[in-house]
Amino acid sequence: MCDNCGCNVTDANRHLLEGDEHHTIEVLENLLHENDIQADHNRAHFEEHGVFVVNIMSGPGSGKTSLLEATIHALPPGLRIAVIEGDLETENDAERIRRHGVHAIQITTGMACHLDAHMVHEALHDLELAGIDILFIENVGNLVCPASFDIGQHCNVVLLSVTEGDDKPSKYPIMFRAGSQVLITKTDLLPYIEEFSVVRARAAIRAIRGDMPVIELSSKNGQGMDQWIAWLLQSVAERKVEA
Amino acid sequence: MHETAIVSGLMRILEQKAAQHGVVRISQVLLKVGRLCAVEPQQLMACFEMFAEGTVAEGAELVIDVICVRGRCRQCATEFDVPRYRFECSSCGGNDIEVIQGQEMYIESFEAASRDTKVVAG
Repeated sequence: MCDNCGCNVTDANRHLLEGDEHHTIEVLENLLHENDIQADHNRAHFEEHGVFVVNIMSGPGSGKTSLLEATIHALPPGLRIAVIEGDLETENDAERIRRHGVHAIQITTGMACHLDAHMVHEALHDLELAGIDILFIENVGNLVCPASFDIGQHCNVVLLSVTEGDDKPSKYPIMFRAGSQVLITKTDLLPYIEEFSVVRARAAIRAIRGDMPVIELSSKNGQGMDQWIAWLLQSVAERKVEA
Repeated sequence: MHETAIVSGLMRILEQKAAQHGVVRISQVLLKVGRLCAVEPQQLMACFEMFAEGTVAEGAELVIDVICVRGRCRQCATEFDVPRYRFECSSCGGNDIEVIQGQEMYIESFEAASRDTKVVAG
């Protein structure tokens, strides 16, 4: 064995003797690259068929499904609606929507706290996009994670229910900043919840995004629903023009 | 816990780049993460440690460079650091603010050891 011809190199010590070349490899790649590509792909599908896609986000229990049920009834007949529901478990929300005669697909994410573009794309296989004007995607109830994942939507609607506290926008600024429209929901309960101030809630939202449109509404007694429906119809009309 | 989804993306990119460059071991990974990404560095590191096990990046150090949020006022064009998500112009007090920094989340680079075949003794 010598140090000259390499006869001292065995499989066991080769890694010690062979020089490792250390270097820096530049990457500059977005960590959500695959999701973003898929989201763009989803959006291209939607746009091809002129579908307006609304991503609805909020904490759990702030009235997303109730809002959708009330919206289905308030939208003019002839407007074709479909719903994708995201939850960790159960078909409950999709069943609630189906009772109103609207096509609903339930995504159960298992352990994932948000919908991503791939999950939504899977669900699209069960949808006839050519027959839809508005697609509502009800994201998993969570005020943090869903804000980070583009799913191919055209706008984000963020709900803040009066039972949650008027400082939620200050506590979860990233979610509220991501919205294109904020809805203060369950306003029928305002007389019973003196801790919630609409003025403070609006100020908290304004501090995060000065030009954020805010609508106060109740899915239960219908107050404010006309404003929400008007906003939706205008958005759908704009989408059709662009398509 | 969307950090797991983000780290899966990170591992896919690392393994792909490592294969491309003939990397046998990654010793350090440098991430740039904006404050508007809603990502918790501690959780990212814990997830990374778990996901890296048994890969070229096992034991690698994850360095996270947190990037502060900067905004540009649409009224007076002042650029400023946005403190604690208060999107209000430091100059004119306007609140129509465009975010110009703080939403990025990407791998800047990694430190790698590639087998240098030139030194292999015959």
